[in-house]
Amino acid sequence: MEAMATPTEQRAVTLSDVGLDTQNKATIGRVLATGKIEQAKEDSDGRMSATIRIQPDQLVFEPSVLVLPHGGQVELELINDDKNTHCALLPSNGDSQFIWLVNHSRGTATLSLDGPGYYWFSSPTGNDEGRGLTGAIVVMGDTPPEARLDRPTQPRP
Amino acid sequence: MTDTAEPYVDAGHAVSNSTLAEIPGTAPDVTSGVNYERIRNARGAEPHNWLTYYGAYDGQRYSELDQINAENVSRLKVEWVFQCGAVGLQAGATTYAFEASPIVVDGVMYITGWDGWCWAIDAVTGQELWRYRHAIPFDVSLCCGNVNRGVAVAHGKVFYVTQNAHLVALDATDGKPVWDKVYGDVRAGESATVAPLIIKDKVIVGSSGGEFGVRGHLDAFDIDSGEHQWRCYTVPKPGEPGSDTWPADGEAWTRGGANCWLTGTYDPELNLLYVGTGNPAPDFDGEVRPGDNLFTDSLVAVDPDVGEIRWHYQYNPHDVWDYDSISEHILFELDGRKVLAHFDKNGYGFILDRTDGELIRVFPFVDRITWGEITPDGQVTPKLYPEKEGEPVHFWPGPAGGKEWTHAAYSPQTGLLYVPIQEVGATATRRRREFKEGIPYWGAGVAVDIEDAYGMVTAFDPATGQEAWRWRNDTPMCASVLATAGGLVFAGEPTGEFNALDARTGEQLWQFQCGSGHHSSPSTYSVNGKQYLAVPSGWGGWIEGFNPGMLGAPHGAALFVFALPD
Repeated sequence: MEAMATPTEQRAVTLSDVGLDTQNKATIGRVLATGKIEQAKEDSDGRMSATIRIQPDQLVFEPSVLVLPHGGQVELELINDDKNTHCALLPSNGDSQFIWLVNHSRGTATLSLDGPGYYWFSSPTGNDEGRGLTGAIVVMGDTPPEARLDRPTQPRP
Repeated sequence: MTDTAEPYVDAGHAVSNSTLAEIPGTAPDVTSGVNYERIRNARGAEPHNWLTYYGAYDGQRYSELDQINAENVSRLKVEWVFQCGAVGLQAGATTYAFEASPIVVDGVMYITGWDGWCWAIDAVTGQELWRYRHAIPFDVSLCCGNVNRGVAVAHGKVFYVTQNAHLVALDATDGKPVWDKVYGDVRAGESATVAPLIIKDKVIVGSSGGEFGVRGHLDAFDIDSGEHQWRCYTVPKPGEPGSDTWPADGEAWTRGGANCWLTGTYDPELNLLYVGTGNPAPDFDGEVRPGDNLFTDSLVAVDPDVGEIRWHYQYNPHDVWDYDSISEHILFELDGRKVLAHFDKNGYGFILDRTDGELIRVFPFVDRITWGEITPDGQVTPKLYPEKEGEPVHFWPGPAGGKEWTHAAYSPQTGLLYVPIQEVGATATRRRREFKEGIPYWGAGVAVDIEDAYGMVTAFDPATGQEAWRWRNDTPMCASVLATAGGLVFAGEPTGEFNALDARTGEQLWQFQCGSGHHSSPSTYSVNGKQYLAVPSGWGGWIEGFNPGMLGAPHGAALFVFALPD
């Protein structure tokens, strides 16, 4: 096995080599957010949409990190391809959104989120959340100009 | 893709989580008639309600209700408990706390929690009537925990701020959003925790983020439309009044701090809003910002119609101890004079003429002050501060102050001020760092004392500054106190006990263990002639700053409501 400290580009390879991106290999479950990263689709009118699947026997949302280009409303298609039952509790302004996903099922959700910032979602049944079924929705963008500070551009990290 | 050709089972569309909680989703329409006049007359006209953050514009945190009194308080019982707990991963996962002050209008309670929660609750039964939860980014910058201090109500709406610096107006009957405005930049490290204040046709809020090198500001929005009315910066730009207290060159003012993260008080006759401002940035490295650094650590008297500062009083010129002066300014009359009282983090209590800011009296309210001295005429002399790079300096009070943001009270019945006090020191070691937007900008390493800390609730006579009595506690007192016409002062402890003290003597008359520490602002109200006490309990927030000896204490999130047996 190679050294544990790896450059970023080797992270996926090392996760796989160690067995942290699968169930019951390196540890009991799967380290969070080790699935794919994908960007939501955006129509010409600004409507955002994406599909998130639950993979068989992997307890992972794919993508496990969904990236939205900006704040607003996103339409999600949620598909459980697993042979076990899961669910999803998703962040949204107003109230969290819940959907029960029996094996081999498909549902939808509408979320309203501010940007910038990122939010966790999960399957709150059993310990799906700890085994791997916790994902992130990343919302890019900036605060509206009228809300920003009146000052010169500042250095960032 | 699935390995079966069978069509998917239709799982339907996701539903709001509250539909799975047996919540009615509606509340009686009790706030349509709440307006500026009713809030202005809250004291005297409707003591059964707690209409605004401090109960009334004067900030006294005093209730005229006297059904619960010194004679019968020992019979108080829990009437109901409201709990929420954590759901999923939330920002500042270990730092959430229940810091709000419950607002009550004609039998309906409105209260916020942590992480975007806002509830309407039946004030008699404790039933949750509706909820709204704003989604809070997990990565939002929070200096001092995932907290919120409460709502304002008027014109049929409930107003509150979110940790990502939105001001949201909800329909008070069902919790549905009416408007939502952004007033801070999370990329700059800004956030929001303040309970909004209604003045006339405006909702007024302040910004948080003083530990991230931002420029503090107040904002006003139209109650009905949400249209932005004005912004008042509390650090001046070059050329504006007060700018000569900042370096003439450089960008110190652009990241100067002075955030207004606590609700102000208001005198309708003078039409002045009294707001305390926060620390300068960087907190402890004053060498990069020579000058008094106005309007940091100050009282600013603001014209709420236009958002302009009419006058100011600076408690800590050129602060290098993180001594925010955000604490409340309590308005009352003293010998026929309009005055205000303020207990600063620096350990001194101030009595000012609230018409013009003239200093009437200054006096120490803690046992240990080593950072410096303030003479009776208000002259400030620093003595101990993190001056040299890498050299540790210990001082009292620590950066959370002799009194933190949690509120004092004033009883017109006794004429005394009641102050929750933290006797905690700290060591700061100056460590210069360059400024980068969105990154904490302290300019020091700070360790607050775990040992040799204690607390008390102390009563002071504002006419003399003399201590009338003190109720001592083994650990610092970190929750707002509440005074009532029943001759009582209520005070919660970090170890979970909620106490009733005799307002004239400080004698402890009753106690209840809530199971988690107090860092909130209890309120009282009555419905159908029965008086209730509403006490949010849930230890958290910036514990490492105000009481690190209690960092391992139980967390929680419960609202206890007490009343006398029927």
